[in-house]
Amino acid sequence: MTDNDNILIERLFEEASRQQIADDGFTKRVMAALPDNSAAKVRRLSRLWTWFCILVGLALFFLLDGWAVLKATLLAIFNTVLTSLSVLLTTAPTADLRLDPAVLLVLLVFVLVVLPYQTARRLSTSL
Amino acid sequence: MGVAELSDTALVAQVAVFHNKRAFDQLVRKYQSPVRRFFLNQTLGDEQLSDDLAQETFIKAYLSITKFRGLSSFSTWLMRIAYNVFYDHIRGEKKEVRGERIDQQHNIPLTSHLSPLTSTLKMDIYQALALLKDEERSCITLQLIDGYPIDQISRITGIGENTVKSHLRRGKEKMANYLKSNGYDR
Repeated sequence: MTDNDNILIERLFEEASRQQIADDGFTKRVMAALPDNSAAKVRRLSRLWTWFCILVGLALFFLLDGWAVLKATLLAIFNTVLTSLSVLLTTAPTADLRLDPAVLLVLLVFVLVVLPYQTARRLSTSL
Repeated sequence: MGVAELSDTALVAQVAVFHNKRAFDQLVRKYQSPVRRFFLNQTLGDEQLSDDLAQETFIKAYLSITKFRGLSSFSTWLMRIAYNVFYDHIRGEKKEVRGERIDQQHNIPLTSHLSPLTSTLKMDIYQALALLKDEERSCITLQLIDGYPIDQISRITGIGENTVKSHLRRGKEKMANYLKSNGYDR
């Protein structure tokens, strides 16, 4: 490649590099062909609605003294459980209870694995 | 401040955050000429195909505008999309004709879709560009027509800078020989 070759090529492309293409309705066609993003809009609105409900819930909780209600509810539950346990202990059969280790294992797996997994799945789909 | 006065970054932000179609309209209006010119040069003057590919480029840009991070200019990002759209098209064409032996350098119609206004000079440019391999043609037109420096050509094409330089050197040699054999050096 000589300098003359370079000059030759640059001269050839000089006019082409200045060429401007008139729009001639191209932009209009592109804008008309843009996909409708209504699905994204619905998702965004749904997320906004969820946050709005959370904020309203929190505001109502503090305005209507939610702590007192929550405390009373938890205490009532605790007392009910305590009463039930005491009734169970006083009325329980004196005979030995035999628990099958396999049943115990299945129960443990259900409580420790299946229940948390199902809860997490439901929460993730609802949010 | 009106939409027309906003910078590219501000327009992109308007589109990405508020889905402002007027802002995107401004971007299309601003960049339609370089994008369509790029495709015209790659397709050797096929106006219909160029406009279709340019439209696809802008639609892809609209759909993935949230991925624009501003690490390069918007025009470089857009040209990268255009380059990928063109090479997807080339790959699609090659799949369609798989099994048939074709000459890669002459599988694009040279004059079939040229407008009557196409000058003789433009015809000569397309004839010269037709001699080049696809990647050589892209590098040559990005440098000589669109005015991009080598590092930006590398970003647009995803080809290393040294390979870009090789493509430019080989492409220019081929074109210089063609021009000389057609009496351009007289």
